[in-house]
Amino acid sequence: MTRQQRAGLAFTLPVLTVIALVFVLPTALALTLSVTDYSVYALADWANLSFVGLGNFRELADNPLFWRALGNTLAFAALGVPMAIVASLAAALLLSDATVRWKPLWRVILFAPYVTSVVATAVVWRFLFNERYGLLNRALGAVGLPGVDWLGDPHLSIPSILLFVTWKVFGYNMIVFTAALSAVSGELMEAARLDGAGPWRRFRHVTLPAIGPTLLLAAVMSVAGFLQLFTEPYVMTLGGPAQSTTTILYFMFDEGFKWWNLGQASAVALVLFAMILAVTLVQVRIGRRREWL
Amino acid sequence: MRLPRPRTVVMNLAAAAAAIVTAAPLAWMVLVSFMPRGESGTSPPPLWPSRWSLENYHELLARRMYDGAWFDYRILPALGNSLWVAAAATFFALILTVPAGYAFAKLRFRGRERLLQMLLAALVVPGQVAMLPLFLLFRELGLVNTYAGAVLPSLAGIFAVLFVRQATLAVPDEMIDAARLDGASEGRIFAVIVLPLLTPVVVTLALFLFLASWNDFLWPLIVLTDQHHYTLPVAVASISREHAADGELMMAASVVTTLPILLIFLALQRYYLTGLLGGSVKG
Amino acid sequence: MASYVPSRRAAIVGAVAAASGGLAGCGRRRSPGAIGFWAMSYEGDYSPILTTAFTAATGVPVDHQSLPSTAAHEKLLTALAGDALPDVVALPNEWVGEFAMAGALAPVTDPALTADLFPGAAALTRYRGRPYAVPWSLSPQLQYYRRDLLAAVGFDAPPDRWGEWRAAAIALKRRRPDDYVVLMYLNWWDTLFTLALQAGAPMLRDRATRGAFSEARFAHAMAFYVSLFELGLAPRALSTEIQDPLAAFGQGMFALYPNSPVLLLDLHRRAHLIPRERWAVTRMPGPTGPGPVSSVSTSLAVTARARRPAQAWMLVRYLTTVPAELRLQRLIGKLPARPSAWDTPQMRNPLLRPFVAQADVPAPSPDVVEWERIRLEVQLVAERVVRGLATLEEGLAEMDRRADRILARRRALVDAGRIA
Repeated sequence: MTRQQRAGLAFTLPVLTVIALVFVLPTALALTLSVTDYSVYALADWANLSFVGLGNFRELADNPLFWRALGNTLAFAALGVPMAIVASLAAALLLSDATVRWKPLWRVILFAPYVTSVVATAVVWRFLFNERYGLLNRALGAVGLPGVDWLGDPHLSIPSILLFVTWKVFGYNMIVFTAALSAVSGELMEAARLDGAGPWRRFRHVTLPAIGPTLLLAAVMSVAGFLQLFTEPYVMTLGGPAQSTTTILYFMFDEGFKWWNLGQASAVALVLFAMILAVTLVQVRIGRRREWL
Repeated sequence: MRLPRPRTVVMNLAAAAAAIVTAAPLAWMVLVSFMPRGESGTSPPPLWPSRWSLENYHELLARRMYDGAWFDYRILPALGNSLWVAAAATFFALILTVPAGYAFAKLRFRGRERLLQMLLAALVVPGQVAMLPLFLLFRELGLVNTYAGAVLPSLAGIFAVLFVRQATLAVPDEMIDAARLDGASEGRIFAVIVLPLLTPVVVTLALFLFLASWNDFLWPLIVLTDQHHYTLPVAVASISREHAADGELMMAASVVTTLPILLIFLALQRYYLTGLLGGSVKG
Repeated sequence: MASYVPSRRAAIVGAVAAASGGLAGCGRRRSPGAIGFWAMSYEGDYSPILTTAFTAATGVPVDHQSLPSTAAHEKLLTALAGDALPDVVALPNEWVGEFAMAGALAPVTDPALTADLFPGAAALTRYRGRPYAVPWSLSPQLQYYRRDLLAAVGFDAPPDRWGEWRAAAIALKRRRPDDYVVLMYLNWWDTLFTLALQAGAPMLRDRATRGAFSEARFAHAMAFYVSLFELGLAPRALSTEIQDPLAAFGQGMFALYPNSPVLLLDLHRRAHLIPRERWAVTRMPGPTGPGPVSSVSTSLAVTARARRPAQAWMLVRYLTTVPAELRLQRLIGKLPARPSAWDTPQMRNPLLRPFVAQADVPAPSPDVVEWERIRLEVQLVAERVVRGLATLEEGLAEMDRRADRILARRRALVDAGRIA
């Protein structure tokens, strides 16, 4: 073995061992669990455990709560990704404008929510959303509008939580887009301005094509994040009202750890895996085209 | 003096407005935490404390004697646990992933490409798939409800390895080759030549890792069953279930959770933000 | 490349290490020789007070942990799976069978602990004929009412039959159309199941392997429950949405408040919100008069793998003595589980008379492991019906479907003869 060979293995083996133990092995176990009916009965007596093949998946398909959780999760992603991307883009455009001063200050403030703990800020926003004592309804009242039942109305709970999530995460892509915007060719912009194009046309024909791929990549990566929402419903709404904010991961946590149906919960985890796999394949294809990898 | 153009005024006001709206929840969090108990539970809610009071922090953080018994939310121990777990996770993750990232970038060894592809493939699998069986696995190993159990999963730093690899690719090969010709061992090359060049990357990575570990919620929620071992997010979530109505107390708990991270971020934000983009952010 | 600033980074790392070491140490660490005691909600919050005398008398320190009631089931199960359960656990009675089956609890071997118990409570804490927990407290649901508001529409007390009770509520609503009449949280199953128990609904059939929620008696209770919301008598609210229900009760936002004995304490402590003359308590109404109600009764159990079983049993014995249970009653309001405690002057307090009358009526509860989950699911479906997302018939059918699904594993095991 050459010297580099030895060093290469020595440097990489520790982390690969950890990954194998903590990641590869459990994932394989998840496949095994998902074809058994592991439940609290099995916790009591191993003899109660049996192999059920695709039975868990069939039960999931029969379970309306699973479909509702799936629908909720997709709604979160479908509504949330545009909200987050648009907010990040708007903030990046603002921060890239030549006439804005004190950029570092704004940048730090706008990014700050991203580094905070989800649990702590979820608690704060739960209070903000309070129907009687929350700041949001107070602000609405100050301009004469009636208060809104943000977290208590099943039709408003998802948008309300998304308001919070957007606030929390928009800073990250704001920075990414700022970098992309700074790479937009200055000469092209000058040429467009000299040609008499207004700001909107300049945006559409110069900026957007230049940052398009970055936008797309960011959107696709966000989807994976939104598919894994858990902490927000856990802290703010307990999956309600009327299970309108139960996401796939929340459903999996309840099924697995609250009721100890690990067989079913592993099946849900594999469904989530399949969804994220689909999203990531799209992302890889885009990324390869841009030589990101 | 020339008056600023209207567009300049509008843009600057917009930036300021965005910043105010973004900072408002955090500012209100701090203000409410200093209000006397029950004040925020009035309609319409006040915007400023009628008097600044430390009673919420006292109740949250201090052990109180009531009716002859001690009561304690155990927030300070949770804070200590969070610091300890995050520091350990960061430290060990760095030790594991930085050499590996370097090896994948600069060392030629058999199986390197195949391992790299497997790592990339592993990115696809969300961590939650492994969580349930991992719990059962840790139970066999006796790691449930231990700090090691909380730290171990964060050491599987696939992103970190790829991140370090990406950054190391930029290190010029000539320096490394020259050192090899001089007879230095691979370990010395890594420690003496490459590592100093990588320090901004390592610092950024350390920040990311610390942040991720501090804010981690789902895994500590599952693996830490004993209140003595709770990290801060788990402790706050637990209190928030029973004390949803205690606005001021919960805001104080949120302040305690977010303040350390915000301070670290403010102190090191240049590293963090430039680390995100490799220097293309202009001041 | 930016220059390396070793001192700054080292300083930060050093500070973090020092701070974490200091902070981790400055909390109350578990003292050696201490027994662990987990309890939920009020018992959990007040357990330090309850055990101070025990520690003083026996020298055994007790390490308390209070579990939030909405997260208690998963905390206990994960602790069981991870072999991290404490020595003593306070459980709702309906969970005893489940955790006994899972091997979490040690059987009660001392006959003195299981003498002097109400038969209904004792039955619930048995698994396969052996007792696994000692009943500790009872908490039946009764209704608190505003005497002044009811008097204004001509009633001394709420009627005890459903028809008349609802008529009184309608009269109250007519008088104060902007307020509500009765507070029933949409995410708590207690009131719905009280109504079901009053109606005598069996709720499960076929040796408790299938749901019986479409059956006439439960349907009758459910229809009554939904009508209260449809008539505007109850707000469509979750427990997380009402910041201070007692203040609301004092302000007349609702006149009838079904709740447990714990409310007595809050009413006593915050008498400035509602003076004593303005409220009273009586039993919940039934279709033909009062009957059994839902009750959150707690038991104490020693875990199977307790590290210090001898001291654990000492704690259980201490907490279930009559004086200790009476002290619990004074502290948090929940009623003693030992009938001999009811003969004391403290329990002959006229305020407690309706509770005494209620405690004599046992509430049957299906002894299935999945009962907790079925109750939660039934309430979720009920919430959907109340919010107009499903009709009553659809809701009842859905309840049966969900119960059947939850009981599938039990059904398979019963059919295979593995469980009774």
